Amino acid sequence: MSEKAYEVAHLDELDRFPVAEEGLVWRPVRRRLGIKAFGTNAYTADKAGDRVVEEHYEKDGHEELYLVVNGRATFVLGDDEIDAPAGTFVHAEPGTRRGAVAAEPDTTILAIGAKPGVPHEISKWEDVFVAFGLLRTGDEEGGRRHLEALLAANPNEWQGFYNAACFEADTGNAEAAIAHLRHAAEIDPKALELAANDSDFDQLRDHPEFPA
Amino acid sequence: MSGSAHVSELAVQLGSGQGWAMIRTHFGIQSFGVNAYMADEPGMTIVGEHDELGEGSGGHEELYFVSSGRATFTVNGDEIDAPVGTFVFVRDLAAKRMAVAEEAGTTIVIAGGKPGEAFTPSTWERNAPALTHFATGEYDKAIEEFERLLAETPDDPRVLYNYGCALSLSGKTKDAIANLKRALELDPDFAELAAKDSDFDPIRNDPEFPSPVAGKAGSGSSGS
Repeated sequence: MSEKAYEVAHLDELDRFPVAEEGLVWRPVRRRLGIKAFGTNAYTADKAGDRVVEEHYEKDGHEELYLVVNGRATFVLGDDEIDAPAGTFVHAEPGTRRGAVAAEPDTTILAIGAKPGVPHEISKWEDVFVAFGLLRTGDEEGGRRHLEALLAANPNEWQGFYNAACFEADTGNAEAAIAHLRHAAEIDPKALELAANDSDFDQLRDHPEFPA
Repeated sequence: MSGSAHVSELAVQLGSGQGWAMIRTHFGIQSFGVNAYMADEPGMTIVGEHDELGEGSGGHEELYFVSSGRATFTVNGDEIDAPVGTFVFVRDLAAKRMAVAEEAGTTIVIAGGKPGEAFTPSTWERNAPALTHFATGEYDKAIEEFERLLAETPDDPRVLYNYGCALSLSGKTKDAIANLKRALELDPDFAELAAKDSDFDPIRNDPEFPSPVAGKAGSGSSGS
């Protein structure tokens, strides 16, 4: 089947996947529209004080451009704090720490990102966000199915199995969590280093089969 | 470099109530194209009709986002009502697309790139900053910008052609003709454009004017 020449969607029609406990909601744009040349997503915070961009560095070398679509946000960009009303663009180079908190209710930020000098590769974290977003909205089985599809498509990548281990640990499935973590560590032992300090596994640390 | 700016700080007036913000250039973004276009009044064309196959285009798939106001897009003949918050993603490079503002203060942000390839700015975008000076009649500034571009790519016929336009409009007849001739040597297709281009009216009757030689090369596109 050939792809359509174009796609149309309104911000209000995008999925809403809760990302973390601080109120951040991920609104997938790239995967909704099928964009391949760059990454793009929207993030919404319903209340002032909620997080609207996770504080992070881009370890995979992406530069990112944020546009405050509505509401108002306070960004951290390196050592600077930036008041960003609607219409503000914020550009962050890969090594620059960035994050934002909503300063008004219903704040939405559009993020566009890619890695300079190389063809864009779709970030696999999108699938992980979907799986955990489904879990946070009460669809545990839907989240698990999404992760299983990710693992089937990427059998040689430890990160998928590691995230599946986190998912099963979060849902109280100790044996499945440990099996996934072992599988991740077989592919790359760094999975165990990460697990040693990952609070997702705190409830499993005393389990006799826990590998870390 | 990391930084921030409000879209109103970046807007350059293109004349007749249309504005353009060179987002990518301002921030030095290297991995995707991104610009914003504004219209002060309803009825104004805010994205000029173009496809992404034409000369000077980037061959980009393009994402349009209406960040304020309301627009009507036309893509391959289909009309799309696009209130604030609408995304229009055009993946087909051959699709003709354009947008007209339906409300005062409409802004459209456009991001683009080529799937499977590292981003490089389109020829159109390289020329565009200089072309903004035509709207304000600041031809000397346009000339400076074209000379900077020619230092990077001395044999780019589009830059040479547009440089010729700016020289013609600023009364530098001899240099205008020399650069136009060089552009035509490199790309004879510009002859048709030059034959009707009012930018060359000040020098058209000069005996050295190449014959037969409208709009500036690439001025019909609005993109990422």
